[in-house]
Amino acid sequence: MKKLLIILLFVVMLIVNYILQVNFFSNFTIAGIVPNLFIIFILFVSLYSNSFIGQMFAVITGLMLDFLYGNVVGVTPAMLCVIAYLAGYFDKNFSKESKITILLMVLGSTIIFEFGRYFLLSAIEGYKANYLVCIKIILIEALYNVLLTIIIYPFMQKIGYAIDRVFKKENILTRYF
Amino acid sequence: MNRNKQTEIFGIIITVVLLILLIFLSNVEAGKLSFLETAVSKVFNPIQKTFNDLNNKIHKNEEYFRNYDQIREENEALKEENSALLEQLRELESLKADNATLQEYMNLTQKYSQYSTIPANIISRDVSNFGSNLVLNVGTNDGVQENMTVIADKGLVGHVLSCTDKTCKVQVIIDSASTVSCNLSTTNETIICKGTLDNNQDLRATYIPLEVDLIKGDSVVTSGVGGIYHKGIFIGTIKEIVTTNNVTDRYAIVEPAVDFSKLNAVLVIKDN
Repeated sequence: MKKLLIILLFVVMLIVNYILQVNFFSNFTIAGIVPNLFIIFILFVSLYSNSFIGQMFAVITGLMLDFLYGNVVGVTPAMLCVIAYLAGYFDKNFSKESKITILLMVLGSTIIFEFGRYFLLSAIEGYKANYLVCIKIILIEALYNVLLTIIIYPFMQKIGYAIDRVFKKENILTRYF
Repeated sequence: MNRNKQTEIFGIIITVVLLILLIFLSNVEAGKLSFLETAVSKVFNPIQKTFNDLNNKIHKNEEYFRNYDQIREENEALKEENSALLEQLRELESLKADNATLQEYMNLTQKYSQYSTIPANIISRDVSNFGSNLVLNVGTNDGVQENMTVIADKGLVGHVLSCTDKTCKVQVIIDSASTVSCNLSTTNETIICKGTLDNNQDLRATYIPLEVDLIKGDSVVTSGVGGIYHKGIFIGTIKEIVTTNNVTDRYAIVEPAVDFSKLNAVLVIKDN
């Protein structure tokens, strides 16, 4: 029952995320670059619940974005799934107690997601990729995501631990980075 | 007696001098004495201003206490009037925006009267940093179909990628995955315009024939080749010509006529 409620909470968070991304952050850019809240969301879901639920939300979010705006369907859910899988790996090997670890996870995930997505899209759609510009965009976006994570980290940790207790009560281990 | 006489003479002299001065000053042109006027005003005006301000303040304060109730009532009435006016202003702003949109539609329809078109509004834009696709508020219910050309007041916007009942997704010409076959207006030679990631507002013109001399400012229009875009729709102008060591690799930067960041009203051309 509690797990179901948490999944409902994730759905609400996804909708809020979408509204913020489309209507709010499109007006607040760093050098014309918007952050990607969906990466932070998938990372959060996977880290504090489990990788499977993370991947489930990755598919839903990715398909939603591809259907709404994408030229091809499938690349965004695939790359978000990679992020969810990686978050499961991070969860097993690193501590979530450290803020720096979370920030590095966001940084790494943003770079992996955007680079992978751009590479796959350029390959599928057959256009000449411009990796120099792509790297510039990705670095600014990653920085923006990290800055946002610094702001939301206290809330993320508070809600996250409550979720963590429900999903991993039989397996509470103190891990150190 | 003597003293009185002296005083009298002194008084007369002063009066005569004053009179002469008065006669003199009243007959001299004002411009010639402006330095005097400036000097005097510099000395006296600040003093006079201070006294004047002080006087006004005392007078106003006195009046304020005297008319406090009246002022309060007046203030209330003005506040009400102000909120009513603000409400009216908001209504007017909304009407103005509606009017502007309708005007835009009308201009567009008149400009492209040779085509049968569907007016549409942009309801959403791509959220990622690598795409520029748009979502319009018209769909299959309005007669929109895949691959229909989308234009704006100043030129080509893109083509319909997919549609639902009430919305459709448009791939704009500045998208990295977009390719449009174009003609140069002066030479009528065919080139290819592609979207770039560098500056999400410009196009890159490639496959330029070797014998063609590109001119800065030359207009670029659709060639009609490919079957998606209609022939002769204005795309933009050549902003920069980039020559490379290998002449076959040379390219040009085309500035689209449409400002995609401010785009709001568009037309979907019905007849493909």
